[in-house]
Amino acid sequence: MAVTVDTNLNDMGHREDPVSTYEKHRKELARAKMGQNLLLGALFFGLLVFSIVTSQFYPERLAQAGSRVFEYIGTIMPNLEWDKLFLGRDDQGSAIEGSLTFWYTDFGKYMALIWETILMAITASLLGTAGALALCFAGSRNLIKNSWIYFFARRFMEICRGVPEILIALVFVFAFGIGPLAGILAIAIHSAGALGKLFAEVNENVSQRPIDGVRGVGGNWFEQMRYGVMPQVLPNYVSYGLLRFEINVRASSIIGFVGAGGIGQELNRVISFYSDDRVLAVLILVVLTVTIIDLFSERLRMYFIGKEQL
Amino acid sequence: MTTTTVSAPVRSLSELSADDVAAARADNPDAFGNTGRSLLVYAVWASVFVYLVFAFWYFDFARMFQPSENAQRLLAAMFRWEDMATWQYGNIYRGIAETLAMAFLGTFLASLVALVIGFLAARNIVRIPIFRHTVRRILDVFRGVDQLVWALVFVRAVGLGPLAGVLAIFISDIGTLSKLYSEAIENIDRKQVEGVRATGAGPVRTIRFGILPQVLPVFLSQSLYFLESNTRSATILGIVGAGGIGMIIIERFRATLYDQVVFVVINVLILVAIIDWVSKKIRMKFIGEVGH
Repeated sequence: MAVTVDTNLNDMGHREDPVSTYEKHRKELARAKMGQNLLLGALFFGLLVFSIVTSQFYPERLAQAGSRVFEYIGTIMPNLEWDKLFLGRDDQGSAIEGSLTFWYTDFGKYMALIWETILMAITASLLGTAGALALCFAGSRNLIKNSWIYFFARRFMEICRGVPEILIALVFVFAFGIGPLAGILAIAIHSAGALGKLFAEVNENVSQRPIDGVRGVGGNWFEQMRYGVMPQVLPNYVSYGLLRFEINVRASSIIGFVGAGGIGQELNRVISFYSDDRVLAVLILVVLTVTIIDLFSERLRMYFIGKEQL
Repeated sequence: MTTTTVSAPVRSLSELSADDVAAARADNPDAFGNTGRSLLVYAVWASVFVYLVFAFWYFDFARMFQPSENAQRLLAAMFRWEDMATWQYGNIYRGIAETLAMAFLGTFLASLVALVIGFLAARNIVRIPIFRHTVRRILDVFRGVDQLVWALVFVRAVGLGPLAGVLAIFISDIGTLSKLYSEAIENIDRKQVEGVRATGAGPVRTIRFGILPQVLPVFLSQSLYFLESNTRSATILGIVGAGGIGMIIIERFRATLYDQVVFVVINVLILVAIIDWVSKKIRMKFIGEVGH
């Protein structure tokens, strides 16, 4: 009779069922991982304690802060009365308290600033896209043979998008004076860096054949980019450009905090110097503008992406 | 061979007759461009050009080429660093630590809250549309107002300092993270949930064992991504007084210490690069592991 080796025998010679073998292995694995998990947990906890202490996030301060936040929200609420809501100005030309006209006394001024904000975003997006177009071909691995040009294009784009817009705006306000010009330039520089990277990534996924074709009939580098690459990537560029425009509308609505034009300047003034219904009035207009432009731009984007898929 | 037919490969351009060209045009109407389309393209370019000319005039771009004395001083300070021994490095690095703390605490707290709200805003968890829509509209408001505006509001409400920054990050991230979380929950695989429910589990256990294991890696990766992006944005919250390195930047900028500002900004860029790198590593470690 052949001797069968029982693989379920442990070191002591006892019989073991598969379940306990499995459980044993699982425990071993768990023990091996526990050390690592403990270390990570301790690190996480340490970071948490450090953060709480640094920002003084203590319960009593928080409770105080909470009540003050609600108090503040109370002060910025408009005083609207239903029966007077749609009343215009009276004979003396002053608005009646409790009406929308009273709440939005400076409506014309706000709308002019929002118009400026949108123009700022459009201009900055156009300039940023132009900058990105100029940089992205040099920053694409497959389109540029000279690795120095590639390296510098990539680093330049990184610096452009690495510095926050509002910091660039701060510097430009100082250099060129208060006004929308500083904001436009700051947003354009940031957009050029961010879009340049996205464009370059699109470029790196193009088919090589049209480029080879253009080279084959004697096209120089610029012609290869124009007729070989551009037709392949243009829909993506437009879509990314529109997405950036949405981001830029948001950016230009706050860049005025450092004096760089747009509705942000008014928002900053209103929040810093008053705490009444004007704060909410401007905030609502800003949020509405951003939302409407988002919806509009999304439609447009869908149109272009849809075209690409045809 | 087919050399006798009209569509034969052309050996040289001189062999090409006007009929060939006309036939090719008829076959491929779009390849040679049509007038309507090219007119449209020209119109778009022309309007962009006209708009830019208008914008250059409207926003007075000429000012760009007459930089003030300030600009020259600032440019000079970028490259000439003076009195580097007196720069109070302690303050700078304390500011950087504060920035990190703000981003970490804000993201962590927002993730905790979003974990709950994410479930409340998910279509497949809460079946009452009115309730879900109310939650979503509130989230829209949190998200619609920019983080910097929240910071300004909180500075007004709780005073200068990092607490305002933490609250600003917290509130605006609740809006975004809850939305992303609820979308992740809506996209789960129904089969696991049904499996758990079939064993007789109640709603809490269904969520714990049917849904949570599916969405936790996604949640973790999104929170890490937000930690990264919040570190970037926390550097500028200080400009409105909400603590962190931004406060040091604006302080030294107002004191016309431009060389120090440049130094601090370089430090911020390095910090952001390090955070990018670390976060990428962590994401790869955790998500790679769970994702198999």
